[in-house]
Amino acid sequence: MRYDGLVLILLWHELRGTMRTQRPYDLAWITLGGGILVGYGVADAVVALRNASAVLRHEDLLWMIAVPSGLFGFGGLTASAIGRLTAARAFAPFLKALPISLEARCRAAGIAALLMGIPLLVAAGLMSAAASAIAGPPFPLAYGFLASGLFATGYLAGLALGIARARRGDQADPVLTSRSCGDGSHPGILGLLDRGRPAWLSSWAWNIPGRVRITWRLVASALVLFIVVTISMAASLVSHAAAPAAMAALAVGIAVFMLSLRFHPLGSPVLRASPIGFTHARLRLMRLPFKLSVATFVLPASVAVAAEPASWEVAAGSGIALLALNAAYAAFAAYFMTAPLLAVVSFSAAIAFCGYESFEYGRTVLIGFATLVAWLWHKARSRYNYG
Amino acid sequence: MDKPSGDGSSGIERDELLAVCGVGAGYGGRQVVTGIDLTVNAGDIVGLLGANGSGKSTLLKAITGQIRLMSGRVAINGIDLAARPEAAKVGFGLAVDGPELPAPLSGRQYLDLVASIRRCRIADDEWAGRIARLRLAPWLDRPIAEYSLGTRAKLSIAAALLGSPPLLIFDETLNGLDPVAVWEAKCLIAELVGGGSHAAIVSTHAVEAVPAFCTRAVLLSEGRVVTAWDTAELSRAAAAPGGFEDSMMQALTKGQGAAAIDGATAAGRAYSQSA
Repeated sequence: MRYDGLVLILLWHELRGTMRTQRPYDLAWITLGGGILVGYGVADAVVALRNASAVLRHEDLLWMIAVPSGLFGFGGLTASAIGRLTAARAFAPFLKALPISLEARCRAAGIAALLMGIPLLVAAGLMSAAASAIAGPPFPLAYGFLASGLFATGYLAGLALGIARARRGDQADPVLTSRSCGDGSHPGILGLLDRGRPAWLSSWAWNIPGRVRITWRLVASALVLFIVVTISMAASLVSHAAAPAAMAALAVGIAVFMLSLRFHPLGSPVLRASPIGFTHARLRLMRLPFKLSVATFVLPASVAVAAEPASWEVAAGSGIALLALNAAYAAFAAYFMTAPLLAVVSFSAAIAFCGYESFEYGRTVLIGFATLVAWLWHKARSRYNYG
Repeated sequence: MDKPSGDGSSGIERDELLAVCGVGAGYGGRQVVTGIDLTVNAGDIVGLLGANGSGKSTLLKAITGQIRLMSGRVAINGIDLAARPEAAKVGFGLAVDGPELPAPLSGRQYLDLVASIRRCRIADDEWAGRIARLRLAPWLDRPIAEYSLGTRAKLSIAAALLGSPPLLIFDETLNGLDPVAVWEAKCLIAELVGGGSHAAIVSTHAVEAVPAFCTRAVLLSEGRVVTAWDTAELSRAAAAPGGFEDSMMQALTKGQGAAAIDGATAAGRAYSQSA
């Protein structure tokens, strides 16, 4: 059809524009550094699989249930992110004035997302086949095809949901949508908490005018966290062991912090051309997410101490770890200030990589991680101050 | 007339609110403005003129610390912007572009935010008067997302005036306003600057309004200052109908051949006389 390639063309021009605005030095660093890191990661994963192949080969549950369902879920999440990316272009305000039908926009967004999914599908299949060949069940080629199929199923389901959501959003009345959030004249509890200097910064960061809107996503996230915390606390109380509740406290604390921290106001001239420093603005934006994180940490950590009073240091340790992880994530979120999903993915990947490698190389990896955090913080500060 | 005022100035005078010395700035390693020298003293209203892409917004972004300087130095109220950005930014109020305003907040929340950064209050009578003059009051409790271009511009102007920073900076902010709002905004700026302790830089394409409103004007072309007018020169240029536009067209077409100059100025004169 006539407009099928529209979103791809827009994305291609955006990519070219972004590449042009990068200095060659930075591009070289990203390409070279990223390439080396990915190469090293792949080599390391192959070595680890080989070492554990004797055990992994007999883990039927892993290969038959965990990996396929993981690929299905990963496909869905990937499609959700890519679908949002393409839908944002297809439903861009400047395109709304053009005579392009809703169906044509949806098709253009869908085709772009499908084409972008092909290399991911191939990668998922190849990696699964390779993993199967090294440490998995027989017939790696068949396993690779099966993995690709599951990834594709998840991807298509996620994409259909994403496009339908974008379509509904496009048809919604923007004024009614903004009114459903309320206005600033009658601020809710958030409004009362968000008056510190600079005022209303968290409301801006969360795109809500002082009142939290109850959405199905918010309810689902809260429910998942509640279930995790409840099960862990019950496990601790039943077994009189601090570890389950303390681990849940740490996991839920960092999850809440990651879900609630938004730094996009740091990129706005409203702050950048104002007499407020980077550190002050950043700490102010961190204040409410940090309070939420601590609030969700306190209950399971208290249960951990109650379950095994002699092991209070386990709960204290997870509290210190939470502080350190929150601080580290804040550096990632400040660097990727307009892309929180990218911040979450890169932070999680870095933590997973460091956690794994530190078993092999000890403190050196942690020093490397700390250096990365400091570098991200420095770059974000420099961008805030000098563009 | 050809020499930009403030050219090559060095040292900080008592009422010098902005000193731009040899500034070069741009994006992604590409320089958009080069070798800009400009001084703004208290009492000045400087009109920043130039074609689209001439570097006006880039220069204002460099002056307000939004992009890195590739060369030169900017000092606001005597404070070096690169060395002490936070302290230097106390010295100016920028009217932020409409699309950059925080859409989910209401106008009142946005003013609260700016006031809390500038450590001032928005509850006094003077403020109520300014809001009324800009006819902003009915909109203050609505989300900025619902504002029109003009209402956003009014809010930006109101926020730029918060805390009465010595230097006010407007990057084509007046362009989107209705005639009454433009008049009120100009009066507000002129009243503040007339007090003798403030100055303003107004980037605009409304060339015909410059002689009446501004005390000085600077013309940018291809990233350089090509001409500047002081108060007397502005008055002289504006004495004849369309005189300032003529003067600007001459400066813009200089070096492009006599035919181009003659054609452009004749067309400009004919347009001015018919208007």
